[in-house]
Amino acid sequence: MSAVVAEHDDHHHDDHAHGPEKGFLRWIITTNHKDIGTLYLVFALAMFFVGGAMAMVIRAELFEPGMQFVEPHFFNSMTTMHALVMVFGAVMPAFVGLANWMIPMMIGAPDMALPRMNNMSFWVLVAGVLLLASTLFMEGGAPASGWTLYPPLVLQTGKALPFAIFSVHLLGISSIMGAINIIATIFNMRAPGMTLMKMPLFVWTWLITAFLLIAVMPVFAGAVTMLLTDKFFGTSFFDAAGGGDPVLYQHIFWFFGHPEVYIMILPTFGVASTIIPVFARKPLFGYSSMVYATASIAFLSFIVWAHHMFTVGMPIAGELYFMYATMLIAIPTGVKVFNWTATMWKGAMTFEAPMLFSIAFVVLFTMGGFTGLMMSIAPSDFQYHDTYFIVAHFHYTLVPASIFILMAAGYYWLPKWTGHMYNEKIGQLHFWLSVVSVNILFFPQHFLGLAGMPRRIPDYAVQFADWNMISSIGGFIFGASQLLFLYIVIDTIRGGTGEKVTDEVWEDAHKHGLEWTLPSPPPYHTFTTPPTVIPTEHI
Amino acid sequence: MNKTKQLFAGLILMALALRTAQADYTLNLMKGVTKVSNDVYDLHMLILWICVLIGVGVFGTMFYSIYHHRKSKGHQAAQFHENTTVEIIWTIIPTLILIGMAIPATKTLLELDDVQDSEMSIKVTGWQWKWEYEYLDNGVHFFSNLDEASNKARQLGSGIDPRSVPHYLQNVDKPLVIPIKKKIRFLFTAADVLHSWWVPDLGWKKDAIPGFINEAWTSVDKPGTYRGQCTELCGKDHGFMPIVVIAMEQPDYDAWVKKTQEEAKKGADLSDQSHGELVAKGAPIYAKNCSTCHLPDGKGVPGAFPAISGSAVVKGDINAQVNLVLNGKAGMPAFGKMLKADELAQVITYTRNALGNAVGDDIQPKAIQELLPKKSAEPVTKAAPEKSEPVADMSKDELISLGKSVYDSNCVSCHQAEGQGNPPMFPALKGSSVVKGDINAQIDLMLNGKGMMPGFGHTLKATDFAAVVTFTRNGLGNSVNDVVQPSVIQKLQSAMPAEQDDDE
Repeated sequence: MSAVVAEHDDHHHDDHAHGPEKGFLRWIITTNHKDIGTLYLVFALAMFFVGGAMAMVIRAELFEPGMQFVEPHFFNSMTTMHALVMVFGAVMPAFVGLANWMIPMMIGAPDMALPRMNNMSFWVLVAGVLLLASTLFMEGGAPASGWTLYPPLVLQTGKALPFAIFSVHLLGISSIMGAINIIATIFNMRAPGMTLMKMPLFVWTWLITAFLLIAVMPVFAGAVTMLLTDKFFGTSFFDAAGGGDPVLYQHIFWFFGHPEVYIMILPTFGVASTIIPVFARKPLFGYSSMVYATASIAFLSFIVWAHHMFTVGMPIAGELYFMYATMLIAIPTGVKVFNWTATMWKGAMTFEAPMLFSIAFVVLFTMGGFTGLMMSIAPSDFQYHDTYFIVAHFHYTLVPASIFILMAAGYYWLPKWTGHMYNEKIGQLHFWLSVVSVNILFFPQHFLGLAGMPRRIPDYAVQFADWNMISSIGGFIFGASQLLFLYIVIDTIRGGTGEKVTDEVWEDAHKHGLEWTLPSPPPYHTFTTPPTVIPTEHI
Repeated sequence: MNKTKQLFAGLILMALALRTAQADYTLNLMKGVTKVSNDVYDLHMLILWICVLIGVGVFGTMFYSIYHHRKSKGHQAAQFHENTTVEIIWTIIPTLILIGMAIPATKTLLELDDVQDSEMSIKVTGWQWKWEYEYLDNGVHFFSNLDEASNKARQLGSGIDPRSVPHYLQNVDKPLVIPIKKKIRFLFTAADVLHSWWVPDLGWKKDAIPGFINEAWTSVDKPGTYRGQCTELCGKDHGFMPIVVIAMEQPDYDAWVKKTQEEAKKGADLSDQSHGELVAKGAPIYAKNCSTCHLPDGKGVPGAFPAISGSAVVKGDINAQVNLVLNGKAGMPAFGKMLKADELAQVITYTRNALGNAVGDDIQPKAIQELLPKKSAEPVTKAAPEKSEPVADMSKDELISLGKSVYDSNCVSCHQAEGQGNPPMFPALKGSSVVKGDINAQIDLMLNGKGMMPGFGHTLKATDFAAVVTFTRNGLGNSVNDVVQPSVIQKLQSAMPAEQDDDE
C-alpha cells in the first residue's frame, strides 16, 4: 500500500499537510476511512482463503464414498467453521470494507461519521474471528453443530462452546458498530444537493442493510446467550425437561438468520446496480423502483423466518402463512432482475471483468432465486429441506452472487484505490475459470439433493458418488482459480500494467458517481470541502 | 455468457448419458409410492417448469441484448429509463403466477397435515445414532441401527470399498415393517438431540424433537423396500443412521408381527454365565451399542464422550456403574430400556475386563434383572379381561404400588414418568381436572379412550386397571384419596361391547 501513499503526493490538490502515520503503527491506530476500508478488505480476503481451505477439506472427503481423510466429528467442525468464517469473516467484512472506502466518497463526505469507533469495530472483528478460529485447537474440537448452532446438539460441544459464543458476541458488537457508523454517515454527512433519492444504489442498499444489522444482531446475541445460560447456569430455555422448547431457539435464530442472508445480498444488489449502468453506458432502468424493491425485500425478510423450519411441526396455519409470505419475496426480487435486464437492453455494452462478474451474478443469482421460490412451496420443501438441493440453492445466492460481486467490486474500484490498472487478461481468465468451475461445483448438488442426499454428512450412499466427484473437481478448480485474484490484487497494488489510469477510469464513469471525480488514487483526505456538482446519470 | 449456457446443456446431456449407463441414477425428485408423494412431485415439476419458462424469457432477453447491444458492434446506447407502466406490469404478472402456484400448494399441504382416521400408529424416537420404533397397537418394539457391513466399511481408513457393500449406508439391522394400503400415523420424538426422519419415497420428512411429539402419516401403495436417512444434523454419526421401510401385503405383515412378538417374549437368558463367557459375549454388544461414542478402543472423545479405558466409573464400584448404564446420565442414554438383562451383564463385565481395564469382577444377568422395572402387563398379549373369575379386593396401598408398575408400562410414554405429560399433545396427569374430578368419568375415559388416548378397557386386566386408576389419583402429585376396586372395573368391562380386531 506504500504505492498509494507515494502517489498521493502527486495529487496535492487540497491543502492537507498531514498524511497517514508512518510505519506499521498506521494500520493499528488509523481512523481514516480508506485505511480502515483497506484493512477490512485485506482481512476479508484472508478469511476467504481460510474458509475456502475448509471447503476444500469438505470436498476432498466427499470426493469418494467412504471415509478417507477426516473423522466425522472433524468434518462437522469443518462445515460449521466454513460457514461461520465465510459469513462473519469474509462476506460481511468485505462489504463493510467497501462501505468504508466508498460511502464517504460516493456521498461527498470527508470521512465516516465516527472514525474512532470505525477503528474499534475492525479490531473487535479481528478479535472475534481469531477467538472463533482458536476453538479448532480446543479439547473436544471446534463447534460441530452447523453454523445454526441448534440446541440440544450444540450443548454437546466440548470446551469450545463458551469461546464460540463469546466470539459471536464480539462479531455482533463489531457489526452493530459498523452499522451505526454507516447510518450516522449517510444521514449526516451527505454533500449539499445529495438528497436521499440521488444517492448511488450502493449507498441505499447499505443504509437498509445497516438497519437490518442493528435489528437482528442483538437477537442472535440473545439466542446464543440463552445457550450459554442453559449450558452453565441451569436455565432451560431450550430444554423440554425443564419446560423449555428446542424449537424456540430455531425461531429466534432464524428471526436473525433470514435478515442475515439479506445482509449479505442487499449490498451485492447495490454494487451490481452501480456497475451494470456504467458498462451498458445507460442509466439504471428504474432507480426508484430499485430502492423500493430493496426496502420491500428488507421488510419481508423479517416476516418469513420460519420457512427454514417447515419440518419442525408447526401448526398448519403457521405453515400456510410462512409459505405465502415467502412466495412474496419473489416479486421485489423479480423487479430487480427485470430492471438489470432492462438496463442492459439497447445499451452499448463492453465486457471488462467487473461487467462479466456482474452479468454472471444476475444470471446465477436468478437461478438461486428460482430454487428459492421452489422451496418456498412448503409441501415440496418437505422433500428439499436439509438436502444438497438447499446447499446448492444458498451457495448459488452466495458464491456466484455475493462473492462474484465482491470480485466485480474489486476489479471496478481497484484502479481508483491504487491508481494502477489491473491486468485485464488475467482478470478475464479468472472470470471464465470461476464461472465455469462454480457451476461444475454447485449445479450437480441440485441433482444430489433431489436424489435424496442429505446435507452435513461426511459419507454417502454409492448412488451419489459420481455427482459428488464432479462437484469436488469443480470445487478444486474454483478454489485454485481464486489464487489468480490474489495475484491480481497484489500485482495491481505493486503497479499493475503500469498504465496510468485517469480519474474516471471507466468511460464516462464520472457521470455515475462522485468517486470518479476524485484523482486516482484519491488523496488521503477527500471532500474536505463538499463537491458542488452531484452526478445524476445513475438515477 | 453463452459458454455458461453451453455448459448447462453439456451437464444435462452428460446427466442423460450417465443415466443410461447406471440404472439407479436419479437427477430429479422421485415420484415415490404414495398419493401424497406423487402430489408433491407434481407440484415440484409444475414450479420447476414455471421457473424454466421464466428463466428462458429473462435469460433469452439478456443474452440477445449481450450479443447485439455491444459497443464493439457499434451499438449506440439508448437513454430510456423510468417507466412506471412497465414496473407495474412486471410486478403484477409474477403476483398472478404466484397465486397460481399457491392454490395447488395449499391443497397438498392440507392433505399432508391431515392425520385423522389413521388405522395404526407407530412411535418413532430418534437417538444418537439409531431409530427406535414402537407399534402402539400391538406392542412391537425395537431399535434400528446401521447394518454391520456398512458400519465396518465406513470407518476411517477401513480399506473396504463401499461399492462392495450392498446398500452402503442405507441398510439397517432391523427395518421398519408396515402394511400397504393402510393409513399409518407416525408420532415422532427424540431422546437426546434433534433428528429428522426422511424416506424420500414417502414424500415428506419430519423432525424428531426431544420433549415434543410431531405427527405425520403415510399410506403406501405398493410393496417394496424404501430407504432414507436422518436429515437433521445430530452429531458425529449423523450420516450413519439410515431408515429402511419395508411395505408388505397385510398377511405378510401379520405374520411378521407374530414372529416379532414371539421373539420379544423370549426375554433374557437369566442363567448364570462364567466370567470368560460374559466378557466374550460382551464384546459384540459393546461394538454395536457403545463404540459409536466411546470408540472401538474405549478411548472416548475428550471433551465430548469420556473414555472407558482407565475410567474411574468402570474401575470403581460395580453397582454404581450398573446404575449409570441402566439409567443413563446427561448424554449417556438409559440402556436399561434398550438391552436385555443378559446383554447388560455381558457388556458391563466386558468394559471392566477389557479395553485396557482389568478389574476382575463380573455381574450376572439375574442381578441385573432385579434392577430392571418389572413388566406387570404385557401390552403385546392383549389378554382378555378375567371375566369369569372373581377378583379379590385390595388395600389402597396395594393398589397404588401395583398401579405404579402398570403406569410405567402403559401410560408413561405419553404422560411421562412424573405425570407431567407432554403438552399440548399429551395432557399432564399431575393436577389434571379429570383425575381430580369424578372417578367414574375418569374410568369411563380410560375404558373407552378419547382422541389420541387409547381405550384400555380391552387391554388391561381389571386388577391392573383399578390399580392404575387408583395410582393416578393418589400418586403423581395428586391426592384425591379415593380408590376403585377391581370388582367394579370387572363389571364395567363385561358390559363393554366385544372387541373389534384392529388388524382386520
